[in-house]
Amino acid sequence: MTDKKYKLLIVDDEPNLRMLYEAEFKSEGYEVTMASNGPEAIKMVEKEKPDLVIMDIRMPGMDGIEAMGEILGQDNQLPVIINSAYSHYKENFMSWSADAYVVKSSNLDELKAKVKELIDSKD
Amino acid sequence: MESYFSGTLSKTLTMILAGGRGERLYPLTQPRSKPAVPFGGMYRIIDFTLSNTINSGFRRIYLLTQYKSQSLDEHVRKGWNILSSALGEFLYAVPPQQRYRDKWYSGTADAIFQNLNLLGKHKPEYVLILSGDHIYKMDYSKMLYFHIDQEADVTISSIPVPVEEAKRFGVIGINEKQEIISFEEKPENPMEIPGRPGWALGSMGVYIFKTSALAREVSWDAKRNSSHDFGKDIIPHMLGKRKMVAFAFEDENRKTSSYWRDIGTLDSYYDASMNLVSVDPDFNLYDDRWPIHTYHPQQPPVKTVWQGDERQGQIIESLVCNGVIVSGGQVIRSILSPGVRVNSFSRIEDCIIFNNVDIGRNAQIRRAIIDKDVKIPEGTKIGYDKDADKKQYVVTKNGVVAIPKGYFY
Repeated sequence: MTDKKYKLLIVDDEPNLRMLYEAEFKSEGYEVTMASNGPEAIKMVEKEKPDLVIMDIRMPGMDGIEAMGEILGQDNQLPVIINSAYSHYKENFMSWSADAYVVKSSNLDELKAKVKELIDSKD
Repeated sequence: MESYFSGTLSKTLTMILAGGRGERLYPLTQPRSKPAVPFGGMYRIIDFTLSNTINSGFRRIYLLTQYKSQSLDEHVRKGWNILSSALGEFLYAVPPQQRYRDKWYSGTADAIFQNLNLLGKHKPEYVLILSGDHIYKMDYSKMLYFHIDQEADVTISSIPVPVEEAKRFGVIGINEKQEIISFEEKPENPMEIPGRPGWALGSMGVYIFKTSALAREVSWDAKRNSSHDFGKDIIPHMLGKRKMVAFAFEDENRKTSSYWRDIGTLDSYYDASMNLVSVDPDFNLYDDRWPIHTYHPQQPPVKTVWQGDERQGQIIESLVCNGVIVSGGQVIRSILSPGVRVNSFSRIEDCIIFNNVDIGRNAQIRRAIIDKDVKIPEGTKIGYDKDADKKQYVVTKNGVVAIPKGYFY
């Protein structure tokens, strides 16, 4: 990592998962900010200007695909990683705007690698 | 032989880009978008692409509208309510719905991107993308079968155009297998077709995509700072990465030379229109095998009244639509849309007159395009004094006078 601290926005309705991601990504050297639903995520993007968004899909109310659409409407070049327990959303063309689609797993290596890859490609 | 419903045509979704502003057609595009501009007396420009689509057997059609779409929308509702939803057929006009962002379509690729939900809904295998701006006859099913045979990601329909004109188009370079090896949008120096000096291979803006390739490419492009345009961004980005082939335009017009017009300017509009009046027009409106459908208002037959030396209702070498009354005036080499009235002692020569225009007594009009609902006062002279005309109207490079819809005297 360079000396600049990159900021991640983690969007997930599951509090335990947010806590886990927060701890894991902080220890990787990222600044972490969080939202528990779609509308909150949209506001956080405006307020916090994150460098990358990790987005759950199935959340109460607005789902992650819709929230991603709104977020990309604000900033079409903000990298978004979809992180869902389900792989079938891959068939939804609307999910193809994401820079990556990582299926949730107890092992975070793939997600971490994708985050690093996308952050590195920003430099 | 596969049936229609199990067949390939029903696995194809057609998307027609019909948001063109047509700025160089002003004032005809002052009240409407380019696809809604009247042509040939009773047609609109969109009717040619829609007729091609229907005549080719494609029956699942979205018309993506945007700019000043009311006129187009009304025309399609009134004239094109001919498909059967019970058979899975449809033709729907889709304005920007801002599902994805609170903006209008920022380019042709963005129009598709913002409607990806429609591809998700119908899950077609192929998507036929057309422009609603052109006049030609083409059987898109031939192109689809070529696309499938070639196993291409995208197939682009192409036509040889003179190098000078090619500067206005996307110019395609192909190898001996018809694969596209270069693509330049509006190039300064268009690449010539090998062995055919003076000619370049132009893109007609007619594309068939494999659905997954289309969704990938427009999604990729949506995340870039580009003009979100097929010709400028999508096609050049696909070069060398995906299989792209050129389909050689096969004309269904059944004339000796092939016909495809992008009516970009008032002068080209005027020339293409007046050509319909000639003895043997280049564009064939009279072929039952490839009919051009449109909206027909319920109006009475054409009528001429008065016979005499001075006051005689007369129509010579003209296209005249229902509801027209020529009462004691003369109409020569002109196109009259439904509901036009030409009054006594007036003379209309080499003119294109849109719906419900009223030509007052003793008016003399030459080489003019008069848009709808204009009441020309008695004794008006147009087309005889260029300087005087210029003070009042739009006058083209070739000296054609254009009078806007509802112009008030």
